[in-house]
Amino acid sequence: MTGSATRSVRRSDLHTNLWLALLPAAALLLLLIAPLARLALSGFTGEAGWPGAAPGTWSLWMPWQDDYLRWRVLWSLAQAGITCVLAFALGLPLAWVLARFEFAGRTLVLRLLMLPFVVPTLVAALGVLALWGPRGLLSGWLGINLQDTPWLLLYGNLFFNLCMVVRAGVDALGQVNAREVAAARSLGATPWRAFWRIEWPAIAPWLMSSLCLVFLYCFAGFGLALVLGGQRFATVEVEIYTLVAHELQIGQASVLALWMLGLTGSVALLYALLEKRLAAPSRVEPVLRRPPQGMAQWLALLAALGALFFICALPVLAIVWQAWLAGWATWVGVFDAEVRAALWNTLRFSAMALALATLLGVLHALAAQRSVFWRAAAFLPFVVSPVTVAFGLLLLYPGWTASLPLLLAAYAVLAYPFVAKSMAAGLDSLPAHLLQAARTLGASPQRTFWRVTLPLLRPALRRGMAFAAATALGEFAVTLFLSRPEWATLTTLIYRRLGHPGAASLDQAFVLASLLMLLALLAFLLIEWPVAERDVAGRPVERQLQTGDLRHA
Amino acid sequence: MNRRLFTLAATALAALPVSTPSLAADELRVMVHSSFALPKPLLAQFEAQNNIKLAIIKGGDAGEMLNKLILTRAQPVADAVFGIDNTLVGKALAAGVLEPSLPQTASASEATLGPALAPVDYGFVTLNYDKASVATSGLALPKTLQELTLPAYKGWLVTPNPATSSTGYAFLLATISGLGEDNAFAWWAQMRANGLKVVKGWSEAYYTDFARNKGAYPLVVSYATSPAAEVFYSKEKITESPTASLNLHGGVFRQVEGVGLVKGGSQREAALKFVDFMRSEPVQQALQTEMWMYPARSGTARAEVMRHAAEPAAFEAPAAQVIASQGAAWVARWTKVVLK
Amino acid sequence: MLELRHISQNYGARALLQDIDLTVAAGEIVALLGPSGSGKSTLLAIVAGLQRPLSGSVWFDGQDITRLAPEQRRFALMFQDFALFPHLSVLDNVAFGLIEQKQGRSLARARSLDMLALFGLAGHARHKVWHLSGGEQQRVALARALITQPRALLLDEPFSALDADLRVSLRAEFKTRIQAAGMPTLLVTHDEQEARAMAARAVRLSAGCLEPLW
Repeated sequence: MTGSATRSVRRSDLHTNLWLALLPAAALLLLLIAPLARLALSGFTGEAGWPGAAPGTWSLWMPWQDDYLRWRVLWSLAQAGITCVLAFALGLPLAWVLARFEFAGRTLVLRLLMLPFVVPTLVAALGVLALWGPRGLLSGWLGINLQDTPWLLLYGNLFFNLCMVVRAGVDALGQVNAREVAAARSLGATPWRAFWRIEWPAIAPWLMSSLCLVFLYCFAGFGLALVLGGQRFATVEVEIYTLVAHELQIGQASVLALWMLGLTGSVALLYALLEKRLAAPSRVEPVLRRPPQGMAQWLALLAALGALFFICALPVLAIVWQAWLAGWATWVGVFDAEVRAALWNTLRFSAMALALATLLGVLHALAAQRSVFWRAAAFLPFVVSPVTVAFGLLLLYPGWTASLPLLLAAYAVLAYPFVAKSMAAGLDSLPAHLLQAARTLGASPQRTFWRVTLPLLRPALRRGMAFAAATALGEFAVTLFLSRPEWATLTTLIYRRLGHPGAASLDQAFVLASLLMLLALLAFLLIEWPVAERDVAGRPVERQLQTGDLRHA
Repeated sequence: MNRRLFTLAATALAALPVSTPSLAADELRVMVHSSFALPKPLLAQFEAQNNIKLAIIKGGDAGEMLNKLILTRAQPVADAVFGIDNTLVGKALAAGVLEPSLPQTASASEATLGPALAPVDYGFVTLNYDKASVATSGLALPKTLQELTLPAYKGWLVTPNPATSSTGYAFLLATISGLGEDNAFAWWAQMRANGLKVVKGWSEAYYTDFARNKGAYPLVVSYATSPAAEVFYSKEKITESPTASLNLHGGVFRQVEGVGLVKGGSQREAALKFVDFMRSEPVQQALQTEMWMYPARSGTARAEVMRHAAEPAAFEAPAAQVIASQGAAWVARWTKVVLK
Repeated sequence: MLELRHISQNYGARALLQDIDLTVAAGEIVALLGPSGSGKSTLLAIVAGLQRPLSGSVWFDGQDITRLAPEQRRFALMFQDFALFPHLSVLDNVAFGLIEQKQGRSLARARSLDMLALFGLAGHARHKVWHLSGGEQQRVALARALITQPRALLLDEPFSALDADLRVSLRAEFKTRIQAAGMPTLLVTHDEQEARAMAARAVRLSAGCLEPLW
C-alpha cells in the first residue's frame, strides 16, 4: 500500500478537517487578515479616520516621492541586502569547514548554532551594544566609536542570520552525493573545480532559499533597528513605530506599512517558490568527513570556529560579562517592584501564549495535511512583521487596545506557526502504514491520534513549542503597541532602561537582558531537551534544520 | 505527553483570573511623563489624607504619553494626567481625551492652559552652554541664532528630535515663532550644514553629548533651570554653576504644564483632589528642585538654588490653536530639512 | 466468509479496478498476484476499509460492511515494512489491539507475553522494535495481528523486504499459524513461488480485472 493516507478520504474525514481548521482559521482571519485589510484601507485612502491623528492625507506613492521616506526604504532594503552578501560570503566557507571536517566537539558546535534562534532580539541588540556600543568592551579597547554608523545594525543582523546560513549550508552539503564528487576528482578536477562544478549546483538552491529568509528578517526586523539604528540608520519598521507612537501620524504610517507588506510579501513568495523546488532530503551517500590534515586545514578550521565565536557567541557572552561587571549591588538593586512585575508579566504572558499557540498549531497542522492552501496559510504570520500586525490590530479594534485577550491572542498568532510547521513536517514524515495498522487493529481516528500520532510527533511538537516559547518571551513590537503601561514585560523594560542615559541604567539593562536570556534558554532546554533523536524507523538521526525553523525578528 | 499538555493548559487557564487587571477599588491612576518626580513623603501624605492608593504610570515623553492616552481612549489607562503642556493641549482636546472643564483656581496673573487643565508649573526651553568648553574655545558666545550658523561655531549644538522629544519640539516652535517659518527652516538647514547633532531625547543630548558631561557639544537645547540643577546635584559645594542659559531671540520657549482629568476614567473625586494637591503649596515648593520647573501658582516662594536659573525676560509663546493645527506639518518639514 | 462484489476504483482518471468479484472462505488463503501498479494494494485497502470504492460492496458473513470504519471491521492488515510502532516496546506493540478491545493494560500485557512466548520472542518483550531483525519484526507484526482474533487477515507483500532464505522459512511458519487460526486470508504478492507455497487458490489482477489462476 503505497502513498500517503490522503487517498483514503471519507466524508467524515472531511468534516473533521473543517472542524480542525475552524479555530486556526478564525484566529488568522480575525487577528491577521482583517487587521491587514484595515491597514490597507488606511494606506490606500491615506486617512486614518482617527480623531486626534495628524491631519492631512497621504498619497500611496508618498514613500517614493518623499526624500526622507525614500531614504528610509532604500536603506532598509540596502541593509538587508548587505547582510545577505556578508552572510553568504562568511557563511559558505564556514559551512564547508563544518560539513567536511571531523573534529572533536563538532556535534556540540552544530547544536550551538541553533542558539541565536532563541535569543530575543532586544537581548541581541544589547549584546552588540555591550561589545561595540559607547561603553562597549571592544570599542573601548580599540578606541573607536561606532555610534551613528550602520555597522552596529549590520553586526546585529549578522549575529542572527549567519548561523542560519551556516546551518543551511551544512545541511545542503550533506546532500551532495559523494560518488559524484569522487567521479569528478577521478576525472581530473581539483578540489576547487569539484566544488564549483558538482557541489555548488547542488547546494545553491538551499543557500538561495536561506538567503531569502535572511533578507526577510533583516528587512522586516524591528528590535535590532530600533536600538542599534540610531537616528540615521533606522529602518522603515522603526519609522512606522515612531510615526504611530510619537507623532500619531496614522495615515503616513499606514502607507508605509502597506508598502512594507507588499515588499515582504514578494520576498516571501520568492522563498516559497524556491522551497517548492527543493526536493525532500533524499538519502544519498554523503561525502565523508575527515579530520583536518595539514597545517592549512587546521588553520582553516580554527579560523572558522573563531569567526563563529566572534560573531555569534561573543555578543551573548559580552552581556553576561557586563552584567557581571555591574556588580552585586546592581543585581540586588535591580529587582524592584517594577522589575518583579515585568518578570511576572513576561512569564505569564509567555505561558498563556504558548498554550494557545500549541493548540492552534496542532489543529492547523492536522488540517493542513490534506490541503495545500492551509499549508501556505501557515506562512502568513511570517510574512507580516510584528509591527504591521500590531498596528493593524490597533486600527481595527480600537476598543480592544490595552486589553489582555487581544494582547495574548496577538502573541499566540505570531508564535503558533512554529508549532504548525514543525508538526506539519513531522506529520509528513510519519509513515502512513503506522496509522493504517493502528486503524485496522481497532483504533478509531481519535484513538490513533492520541496513541500513535502524537507520541511519535513528540519531538516535532517540542521543537515547535520551543521556538514558540522563545518567540513569546522575546516579544517586543506587539507589547509596545498594544500593552498597558502596567503590563510592561522584561523586553519593554529593557528598552525603557536603554532610553535612560547613564551608566547605572545601562548596567541595569545588562542585568535584565541576562535574566531574559536565561529564561529563553531555560524554556528552550525544558521543552527541547537535547536527547538523541530517532526517526520513525528507529535510526538515530542528526537533526536537520527544517524549513519549519523560522523566527521572528 | 498528554499530561504535560494538560498541565500547560491548566496553568494557563489558572493564570487568567490573576491576570485581569485587578484594580483595587480605591486606586487612583495618574499618567505622567518620565520627568515627573515628587518627594515620596508628599505623595504618601496625599494617599493618607484621601484614603486612596496612588498609582503613578510613567508614559515616556510627554508627546508619547499623550499618544498613549489617545490610542487607548476606549479603555482609559489612567484617571488623571499630568504633563500635558501648551504644545500638546490642542491635540489633547481635539482627540477628546480630557474632561472638558475643571474647577479653576488659577489667578489671573498666571499662565493658563484652557479650561481642561489646571496649570501646575512652567519652564523655559532654551540653550545651555558649558562655561569651561566655551572658555577653552576662545570664542565669544553667539548673540543671535543666525550667528550660530557661522563656521566658527561648527559642531557646537546638539538638539533632541522634535518628533520624539517635547523639548526638541518646543525649541523648534520657538525658532518658528521667533524667526518666522521660512527663515526658521532656512536656519535649520544652515545648522545642519554646520554640524548640528540630532538625538532621540533630551536625556541623550544632555547626559551623553553635552560638553558638561564629557560629550563633544558645548551647546545643548535644555531648560533655563538646568544650571540650577547642576549646582544642586554637584558633589562638591559650588557657588557658581558650570553651565548657564543662553537666551537668544527665537531660541526661548515658555512651556506651561498642567494636570487634568482623563475622559472616561474613574475615581472622579480623588482625581479632583489630586488636581488641588498638585497646586498646593508643598508641592509647588517641592517641584522646583524635583522636576526643575517654576511653580505656576503665583506667590510661591522660589527655592534658594533657583537663583542660578534666572527666568528669561523674552520668550516665545505661540497660541495653542496655531500649534495644534500646524505642529505636525512643521515637524514633518523639519525632518525633511534636517534629517533626510 | 469474505466477499467482494463488483468492486470498482479509479486512480485519477484511469480505471484501476473494474468490477472485481472475489470470495474467500473461512480458513482459506487466497493469493492475489499481479504486476506492480496493478491495484493489488488498493484492493486490500478497500477491503480493510481504508478506502471507499467507487462502486461495489464488501460483505462478510452475509453482512454488508462497505460502510463500516476500519476499526470496526476487525480485519487485520500486515505490511511490507512491518509497521510496528517505534515508540512502543515489542510487548506493547502486540498488546495494542487488545487495549483497543477495552482489555485492561496488565491483562493485555500478560496475554501478549504469552503470545510472544508462542512465537519464541518472549526474550524481546521489553526491547524497542528497531533492535529486532526484519524477520523477527514481521513475526511480531503477525503476533500483533493474530492476538486480536481478527475476522479476516490481509497481507500486503509481507516478505518482500526480507532475504530469500528468510522468506522461505517464514512462509512455512506463517502458513501454519494462519491455518491454525482459521480466518479467511488474502495474500498479496508478486512472487509465484510464495503464492504456491502458502495459498490454496490464486487469482491474478491485470488490467483491472481478476482472473483465476489455480
